[in-house]
Amino acid sequence: MSLKKNIQFTLNGEAIDVLADPTARFLDVLRNELRYTGTKEGCGIGECGACTIVVDNEAVNSCLLFMGQVEGKDVLTVEGLSEEEIGRTLQTCFIEENAVQCGFCTPGMLMSAYALLKTNPAPSREEIRLAISGNLCRCTGYVPIINAIQKAEQELNSNVDDDQKQEAIS
Amino acid sequence: MKCASFERASTLDCALKLAHGYGEKAAFVAGATDVLVKAREKDCYADRHMIDISDISSLKEIKIADGRIHIGALATHAQISKDEIIQKHAQVLALACAEVGSPQIRNKGTLGGNIANSSPAADSFAALAVLNATVVIESAAGQHCMPFSEVITGPYKNKLQPEEIITEIIVDCLSEDYRHAFYKVGRRNALAISRLTAAGVLQKDSSGAVKDVRLALGSVFPTPVVFSEITSPVIGKVPSSDDIARIAEKLSAKIPEIAGIRPSTRYKQPVAGNVIERVLTNLLGGPVS
Repeated sequence: MSLKKNIQFTLNGEAIDVLADPTARFLDVLRNELRYTGTKEGCGIGECGACTIVVDNEAVNSCLLFMGQVEGKDVLTVEGLSEEEIGRTLQTCFIEENAVQCGFCTPGMLMSAYALLKTNPAPSREEIRLAISGNLCRCTGYVPIINAIQKAEQELNSNVDDDQKQEAIS
Repeated sequence: MKCASFERASTLDCALKLAHGYGEKAAFVAGATDVLVKAREKDCYADRHMIDISDISSLKEIKIADGRIHIGALATHAQISKDEIIQKHAQVLALACAEVGSPQIRNKGTLGGNIANSSPAADSFAALAVLNATVVIESAAGQHCMPFSEVITGPYKNKLQPEEIITEIIVDCLSEDYRHAFYKVGRRNALAISRLTAAGVLQKDSSGAVKDVRLALGSVFPTPVVFSEITSPVIGKVPSSDDIARIAEKLSAKIPEIAGIRPSTRYKQPVAGNVIERVLTNLLGGPVS
């Protein structure tokens, strides 16, 4: 017996309606049915963070999320990151700081970093370390990743300063 | 995941009615951080009717009522660790919840779920024990309360009956002069299953003598316990380093006594002693390390 039903939610800013099994893992629906393969599966038990997505501005593991629990939620995956200034800045800084080697952990790292900067625009280095503590990287090493997030934070804040200066002038 | 059905309950009433309809075949889903891991190992939910309660907003509130703190069972670990009331009056629980899993797990995992799962290594348990937690349980038949220490009966075992749901966890609202400490021993900083946790709260009077002290260890005993008879000798006095060492020795000696000699005892017993000394020193205003 199929449990499939229509489930509505927002994916990367777009309202969508999917006929899906509510007991499926959201990760599987994302990758196999919606073909959003940017989100990776590593361990499948919430330990590696490769499948991290942002739901209602919080980083969560999409391997530990039922499709049925996404109903009515606002979901952001790595595919939607470039639509947002924080996301674009993070992407550029990851490239500039060589924070990507094999790249498998990168989508998850970016989403954890995005959730951090969205709620805490000026995190300390320690807060950055804590924010990505649920994301494993086995090749790049964490230092370039932390550097990239710190650089993104500085760039975003300097943009804010520039905007304020512009406003003051005009 | 294999299961008989999956329904989302938007109110507590709706969840209780659904559960009553399914009886023993009902299973609740909150943060899903344990359910979806368990479901991978075996089809243990194949004949179960899953009731998703994660969206019931009335069970997410944290408030003070009748002099105690009422924590909605669906409050997440992240929410609890940042909550102002908890930070001020039950900080030991905030410290414990901040150690659970990873940021992603803390954003989803709930305190009620942590209790219902009853893992012997649950990070919140030692903190709940020192805060005299009471668990509020509801079913279509009505509501009842149970001391937290009685709810957990052993590793992954508890007194929750089919159809019953934890709706609230009530903990002591400690005055602001209490000091709080929580210490976790894990194999690494994040995402570690606790090898051992220690939670403590302590209140001193104006002369510096101990007025109240409560200590509990997690991940070492089958159920969470506070041994007040071991700490009571220091009540009314300023404990010396010898007093602290004696408490550490007696408390860690409970490990082989209660849990029996296990392969880990040779490690856990001395480590527990050291951790208790550290936590007590910290609570007495000594170096925090």
